Amino acid sequence: MSVDRVIVKRAIADALPLFVPAVPFALVIGLAIVEAGINPFSGWSGSWLIFGGAAQLTLISLLGSGAAVAAAVTAALVVNARHLMYSAAHAPTFQKQPSWFRWLGPYLLIDQMFALTIIEADRDPETFRTYYLAAGATFWTLWQATTALGLALGPVVPLEWNLEFAVPLLFIGLIVLGIDKWPKAVAALVGGGVTFLVAGMPNRTGLLVGALAGIVVGTALERMRP
Amino acid sequence: MIAFLATVVVGVGTYLSRSIFILALAQKKIPEPVLLALQFVAPAVLGALIVALLINDDGSVAMGLPELTALGVGGFITYKTRNHILTLVVGMAVFWVVRALI
Repeated sequence: MSVDRVIVKRAIADALPLFVPAVPFALVIGLAIVEAGINPFSGWSGSWLIFGGAAQLTLISLLGSGAAVAAAVTAALVVNARHLMYSAAHAPTFQKQPSWFRWLGPYLLIDQMFALTIIEADRDPETFRTYYLAAGATFWTLWQATTALGLALGPVVPLEWNLEFAVPLLFIGLIVLGIDKWPKAVAALVGGGVTFLVAGMPNRTGLLVGALAGIVVGTALERMRP
Repeated sequence: MIAFLATVVVGVGTYLSRSIFILALAQKKIPEPVLLALQFVAPAVLGALIVALLINDDGSVAMGLPELTALGVGGFITYKTRNHILTLVVGMAVFWVVRALI
């Protein structure tokens, strides 16, 4: 099988600009690992074991803040539940692919990959596969490198800067970018508000109560919309 | 060690969520009510996380003027520019300045 260089180049060219918004996440993940006092290798291993910025940041910052491990794991998994939608949307395209690619492809299916590759779904299977792998390899390599860079920068940053506040800042950005209808804004406000009310629950488990309340209210509002 | 095991669990769960329909349920569709609820998972969890990360060890929430101003400004900048780097830089600056002033 000869690799089509034109497709590989196009995939890399498409992937690079989409990686830029992920850079602050990668660096903050590295910093958060250092601040959380987690073993650097354990913390960084999330970059290839999970390969998903929001979930990695959730897990690390919650573990570092003394949350119950089960609550941190649950929250990180719930953050990544949106990938179910990507998986379902790509399932028909992947049926035309060889078995090894059906196993490998989902590992690379991050938000940016979904956005890039869902619009390539109508291409012939080999072109799709080449494009998908080249774009995925680009994101993967840059992600490993930039999270490691953040880890290296971590010890240099003074604690008084309170850089752990960067995590809520990045999360509010993700919320704002994701809001395309008002029930989502309400879901975010209810999620935060209820968590505030039950903040006294042990080991930050209140965040699961808040998140559930936000999902329920958002879904209910959406159902009531004409 | 606990952190590494937790990471492995989240990694396996993440892979499952990305692969389950591609590997096993290609003929299945996500039921409509689940699809509806899934849209609200990200905003609800992220909203809850912001507050959870600001909870102090005594159960109080560190949501004073510096935090609220910075989050408000940060959210506004993302809305206007869609630029996470700018959000981060300006948001942190606002946080430091307001904290120094009060």
